[in-house]
Amino acid sequence: MSVTLNDVLCSLQEEQSRLMMKLQQLKRELVDSPRDKIPFPVPEIPVVFQGLTLQGRQVSKFLVSNSEICCPLPGGSALVTFDDPKVADQLLQQKEHKVDIEDCRLRVQIQPLELPVVTNIQVSSQPDSHRVLVSGFPEGLQLSEEELLDKLEIFFGKAKNGGGDVETREMLQGTVMLGFADKEVAEHLCQTGQFQVPLGRQQVPLRVSPYVSGEIQKAEIKFQQALHSVLVTNIPDVLDAQELHDILEIHFQKPTRGGGEVEALTVVPSGQQGLAVFTSMSS
Amino acid sequence: MDADLDIKKQACKEHSPEKEVMKGEQKERLIHDIMRENLELDQEIKKLEAELQSDAREFQIKENIPERKLKFISVENPEDAGRFSHSSCSFQVSSQILYELQKGQALITFEKEGVAQNVISMGKHVVQMEKGCVEVTAHPVPPTIGVRFRVHVDISQMKINVTGIPDELPEEQTRDKLELSFCKSRNGGGEVESVDYDKRSGSAVVTFVEAGVVNKILKKRDFPLYMNSKCYRVTVSPFIERRLEKYQVFSAVSKRTVLLTGLEMVWLDEETVEDLISIHFQRRNNGGGEVDVVKCSLDQSYTACFEE
Repeated sequence: MSVTLNDVLCSLQEEQSRLMMKLQQLKRELVDSPRDKIPFPVPEIPVVFQGLTLQGRQVSKFLVSNSEICCPLPGGSALVTFDDPKVADQLLQQKEHKVDIEDCRLRVQIQPLELPVVTNIQVSSQPDSHRVLVSGFPEGLQLSEEELLDKLEIFFGKAKNGGGDVETREMLQGTVMLGFADKEVAEHLCQTGQFQVPLGRQQVPLRVSPYVSGEIQKAEIKFQQALHSVLVTNIPDVLDAQELHDILEIHFQKPTRGGGEVEALTVVPSGQQGLAVFTSMSS
Repeated sequence: MDADLDIKKQACKEHSPEKEVMKGEQKERLIHDIMRENLELDQEIKKLEAELQSDAREFQIKENIPERKLKFISVENPEDAGRFSHSSCSFQVSSQILYELQKGQALITFEKEGVAQNVISMGKHVVQMEKGCVEVTAHPVPPTIGVRFRVHVDISQMKINVTGIPDELPEEQTRDKLELSFCKSRNGGGEVESVDYDKRSGSAVVTFVEAGVVNKILKKRDFPLYMNSKCYRVTVSPFIERRLEKYQVFSAVSKRTVLLTGLEMVWLDEETVEDLISIHFQRRNNGGGEVDVVKCSLDQSYTACFEE
């Protein structure tokens, strides 16, 4: 049957009114649905207002804390940290340094210590179909982290409980994340939702829900100098560690030798390695 | 049926041929317009559907981290030798829990949770101001959804990334040339453990036997690669592994802090009002108890920061 322009026009107009109705309906749904409501249980963390208010530019959406920066140190070196960064700065002006011991001299080198810091971070998140969140733990459970994770892995590893092979597990604050080899197991557990799990002497009602996991898209790094510290390298292997430590400490405390008040000094003996540990604090 | 329609068409044409043609053109234009509109509507619908599906579970984070002061802790000698093969940086990132305090609102933190809950359940409170009273309403502070996780970044002391490798020689030969160039100590190189070369992308990962060789090489952005009788400069960059741990969405609830509303018409200064509110809610007769902090917003709004 041949279709006239009128027919085409009619059907297009019908289509349009159908589309417009759908659009209106969706707009209503969007207004009604509380976007901030999360449809799965989320652990509660108590917070309190203690009088701190932020102004304009200070407001950043995220807090950085508990930072740990580690840097391996070579054998035959020593890390010296001064109270005054100016002392470190002065010492770094000359790369070669001579340390006097009784009747001889140690020729050593002085280098700045450069540490990696993250300057920009991009993280995206999405629901992870292989992982679940286990929540509802009562207070006062007399189990260590390891014990709790073991018991959960045992319970949810059994097919008879609706579980399967557990590939990853992680203790979070107040909840546990379990990752399964088979995503159908994870899905099925979420659908069941409630479980009675034996944890020690009691049967505890726990809730299983979908887990949202995060992934780093980008983390930009730069090297920042530890301004209070210097790394003394190429120390000849002529003294034992304790003697070397004492001699270096005495030497670097002397303002006449370019030193100053030493906060800490650690020797990494020849043939060994050391790991310098730093933290960072907001200025 | 076809015949019928054709006859009708013929009939229309015979009656007003010009009109029919014009209408025909108009109709075609109209059809094009409607088709375009429908396409736009469809796109809008798809966008809204996607929005409805993407719920608050999805957090996109894009943040600059301001420079912080470095502080020495200690020098360790861990048993795990693997820890010497990279330098690392790890830290926790956690959402700031903020509340926009509007004009006419106040936040009051009690020492005891029970007192806060009682004040909320009492609802309205009549607070004595200097010249009269004001009725405030106590509400719980709405919970905020936040996210927290731990970032780990490891910068290898044994491996480097090499890019911009010319495609002139066969794979095996290029791999050998890379090894030969990177083991030359006069260029800052050192004994090479292995070379992982990807011809397709012109890049490679070079692993050295000794830790620390990479630091010398990475002082410059490029490195000389000798192929045949030419010297190419390939780009070198640190080999970095990044991962995220303990990613967790949480709900920040305030148990001891109460939101008070109804202070819009108060004409005193903020400090005075804070004192008066504090005095009122310290009294057990008023349903209150020991007060930690009061912050009130009258002239301007504030961004209140909640802490754990």
